[in-house]
Amino acid sequence: MNKIKLLLAILFAINAMSAGAVLEITVTKKDENPIPIAISRFQLSGVNAQDKDITQIIQADLERSGRFDVVVTDTLLDPLEEIDALYWRQRGLEAVVVGSIEQQSEKIYKLSVRLFDVYSNKTLFSKSIRVYISGFRKVAHQLSDHIYEALLGEGGSFNTLLTYVTVNNNTEGEKEYQLNISDSDAQNVKSRIKLKAPILSPTWSPDRAYENKRIAYVSFQKGHSEVFIWYPYVRRKIEKLPRFDGIASAPSWHPDGKSLVLTLSKNGNKDIYSYDLSTKKLTRLTYNTSIDTEASYSPDGQRLVFTSNRSGQVQIYIKNLTTGKINRITFVGTYNARAVFSPDGKSLLMVHRMGNDYRIALLDIKTKDLYIMTNNVLDESPHFSPNGNMVIFATNQNSKGVLSVVSVEGNRSYELSSQTGEVRDPNWSGYLE
Amino acid sequence: MKIKIAIILPLLTILNACVSTSGVKDVVVEDRGDAPSKVDAIAYEKGDFGWRDLANSTSKKDNNRVETSTEIKAVAELKASNTQFTLYFAYDAVDISDSATQEIIKHANFMRNNPEIKLRLEGHADERGTREYNLALGENRAISVKEVLGLYTGLGSRIEVVSYGEEKPVAGGHDETSWKKNRRVEFIYR
Repeated sequence: MNKIKLLLAILFAINAMSAGAVLEITVTKKDENPIPIAISRFQLSGVNAQDKDITQIIQADLERSGRFDVVVTDTLLDPLEEIDALYWRQRGLEAVVVGSIEQQSEKIYKLSVRLFDVYSNKTLFSKSIRVYISGFRKVAHQLSDHIYEALLGEGGSFNTLLTYVTVNNNTEGEKEYQLNISDSDAQNVKSRIKLKAPILSPTWSPDRAYENKRIAYVSFQKGHSEVFIWYPYVRRKIEKLPRFDGIASAPSWHPDGKSLVLTLSKNGNKDIYSYDLSTKKLTRLTYNTSIDTEASYSPDGQRLVFTSNRSGQVQIYIKNLTTGKINRITFVGTYNARAVFSPDGKSLLMVHRMGNDYRIALLDIKTKDLYIMTNNVLDESPHFSPNGNMVIFATNQNSKGVLSVVSVEGNRSYELSSQTGEVRDPNWSGYLE
Repeated sequence: MKIKIAIILPLLTILNACVSTSGVKDVVVEDRGDAPSKVDAIAYEKGDFGWRDLANSTSKKDNNRVETSTEIKAVAELKASNTQFTLYFAYDAVDISDSATQEIIKHANFMRNNPEIKLRLEGHADERGTREYNLALGENRAISVKEVLGLYTGLGSRIEVVSYGEEKPVAGGHDETSWKKNRRVEFIYR
């Protein structure tokens, strides 16, 4: 773990983008007994821009997960010195994070960090990283992931990205739609797309490298729904898929990032097609005369889940792409829509109608057990965090659109809201490089 | 059918005033980026594309198209005949009722009598359910209307179908009173 690595931060120009809509995070539910943990403040004179404060970023990450109670201490500790386990144990803490930052040259800093388990009296990891200051945020999220994994035995989802749409009324009372991206902590917000026409269904491409990261989304900027692809880390690049007659919507990436599935109504009939981005070849995947939409691949790319009203009700179907066979998956309730696979491919997350309410539900594909996760009136656009532990979705609070993140067990949650307007259509990226 | 319309014609206007204009007002399409000129044409409809404004802009339009004043007069007459310019639908439904069919026939006759006029059918849904499903549903509603109009040969190519799904509600509430106003197809002549 002592590997020294020069982290090249993010070299790609993001400066062409304007500030996006910053969301406020409120932790609403935590574990009954969160793990008490101390972070000894990372200190460096002269570098304390708030959004680059490593201590604060790690603290917020761990708190937000609902699994930790974090105490930040100013008791200066050197990562290389011995840690007094008894001192921390007496304060009821289970683990201590100790870090330091040292400037090595004009632009490069050396960051040392150690995670110490107070009870076993052992160092769980010790790490030294050389990093540019522009990479501080990313490194902080990576450290949060390391700490999370070392203490809980499963990977975190901190070094990841979100995308979401905000809607605000401008001074003339018109609605303005903005497509935003941010880090998983809703900080570092960027936006380049602001329209008076609706924007919906943004979705991150599966790429791990920033320069390949793309967002497919639907916009009405030309008067009808069309699919666009935005390269947020490559300056000024937005591509539009070819114009098809009718609607083009519900884009979703193949796990290899080379093609998209989308809904087209070229012949009036809403069906699912895959579109190969390099060959520009369109392949029709469903042929039913009813509505087929909201397609999404399984993690291995072998199956495709989609919404169809072919039975007369809105239900979820899976097409096996090897055999071509289509099976209906949902039988409970009269409305199940917009399903996505869990990262392990074993369950589906969807919008489920219960009475007059639309809620987020989790379906075990094998056992067909349906677990209703939420109890709101109008929840939609559910997606998993990359580690599969949390679910992000859009909901309404006091008639205002907000985002909610809930653990799969339902015992932890937080909310993301905009002070000025509505937030909707969230999507969580996969793991990053 | 013509006889029916003749009977309806004198039963003038109480209901027809706001139905279509309030809905059309939301059709603001504006791109802050590099939009081709085609988009500007659509953006031009923004704001107050109501029948009154069409009439007010007569002189301006006369420079471009000679027929315009005739068209405006025709549209005004259609409006005065108490014809509905917005059709409403049941939850998750695309069915056209008999009375709605009668309304659509008035529009079909109108288009046959005014071969220059084009029609844009905008399908909408209420907020319930998912955005993408509602986008598909809105298009099916507009297509249902187009199919009735299409029974008259030659009209199909003059009819454009667009869906906004649940993105452009006319009523902002979260109950059936608002929802039933939002499940609709708007007739927009151009």
